Amino acid sequence: MTVVVDVNRMLGPLPHDDVPSRDETGLLAELERLRIDTACVSHAYAVHGDPRDGNGQLGLIGDRRLLPVPVLVPGPLGTGRWTGGAPLARLCPRLHGWSPTGPHARGLLAELAASGTTVLLARDEVTAAEVRVLAAAAPAPRIVLTGTGYRALRELAELLETHPSLYVDTSTLCGHRQVEWLAERYGAHRVLFGTGAPVTDDAGPRHLLDTLDLPGADVALIAGGNALRLLGGEP
Amino acid sequence: MSRAMDVIDAHGHIGRWSAFAITDGSAESLVAMMDRCGVATACVSHLLAVGPDARAGNALLLQALQAHPGRLLGYAVYQPHDPQGPERLRDLLDAPGVIGVKLHPEVHETALDDRAYTPAFEAAAERRRIVLAHSQHGSPWSDARHFATVSPRHPGVPLLMGHAGLFPQGFRPAVEAAERCPDLILETCGSRMTARHLVRMVAEAGADRVAFGSDAVFLDLRTGLGRVLLAGLPEPDREQVLHGTMDRLLKGIV
Repeated sequence: MTVVVDVNRMLGPLPHDDVPSRDETGLLAELERLRIDTACVSHAYAVHGDPRDGNGQLGLIGDRRLLPVPVLVPGPLGTGRWTGGAPLARLCPRLHGWSPTGPHARGLLAELAASGTTVLLARDEVTAAEVRVLAAAAPAPRIVLTGTGYRALRELAELLETHPSLYVDTSTLCGHRQVEWLAERYGAHRVLFGTGAPVTDDAGPRHLLDTLDLPGADVALIAGGNALRLLGGEP
Repeated sequence: MSRAMDVIDAHGHIGRWSAFAITDGSAESLVAMMDRCGVATACVSHLLAVGPDARAGNALLLQALQAHPGRLLGYAVYQPHDPQGPERLRDLLDAPGVIGVKLHPEVHETALDDRAYTPAFEAAAERRRIVLAHSQHGSPWSDARHFATVSPRHPGVPLLMGHAGLFPQGFRPAVEAAERCPDLILETCGSRMTARHLVRMVAEAGADRVAFGSDAVFLDLRTGLGRVLLAGLPEPDREQVLHGTMDRLLKGIV
């Protein structure tokens, strides 16, 4: 049976909408309705409030289907070293007002690379040039570009071709057959099911997963195999 | 999820676009995708016609309609800057498979309530056709207020509000415009729409005022369709959105 892991999800209330995933019970109901087995969740406080407050909320998660994803900020005014042992961390440099290519960031990224932590990085949080700098660092952590949108395929092609440590999620990769195109050209191991919900839609990407025009083994990788591999710290 | 192949996609395209790569914008690719996910009919315009060349793009549209009768229905793009636009549109609306007019106020930099579009609405009224127009909340060309202004000028002409405002903050104004204008239909495609927004839209506007659209091959047909299939909608409402609303609009046209 194919395991479905949403690698890009948020728990908690949003400032601009009323969402079912405002609490854990609501989020789990959404996951069950959409047949999603596991979700990697950052807390909304950590994105739309102070990351330290939001990361603290992750300790309150009770259900094992929800895997905590801290939101990290480098530097003396940041979140400090994360000791929760999460294999996945989210960075929001633009939203949280720090430079993704500055010395503080370099230190954080080196730590994440050394610990085998994979980074979730929304495409609208960085420029393509910044992604290139981050991916070219030595050592560089694995980076999953999320929310890439449907207009960035040319840019994504160049990034994936150049940097083997880069991956993409499917949350807004919603151009005609774009998931198939990337998987066929760069390998299904580079594409991870993610929704970005509740900010972006979960139902559409979930249905896309069920109807991909790819071999079953590739679909299984995209659905959850890749996420489980990265969460396990494997390359 | 398997279902009878009865879905009608109210808003689709064939062709390619300037701002990003469409890896295969052919009619064949779209029809193959329709087969893959149970879409019976897609109502499409040609992106060349939406963009730089309405005349050439509309000619390509007719070829595609001829190649895929019954599977593809067409919107002829009305180019408000073409002096011969009105007579060309009337001819196009008489072609087999053409069910309406596509307007794109953003691309043509002409507000939807500009009188430049009056010939298009009049041609649609004469031939009992549909008008599909791009909408975009906050735009100087295609905000919900433009739809609320123009629709009452042409009573009886079905006006599909493509994307229903496009941005989440635009969905409520779109519903309010639909409440004021009985000929206005909200169409669901767009990368910012979620199943949650769709459920609210249907609850507020009524399922008979909402039609499923995907924006394929601009967008992936499956994400827009999945949003409707997996939304927490009552089943009769889901069926209405997936085909009932368009069944009604197409009655007497095809």
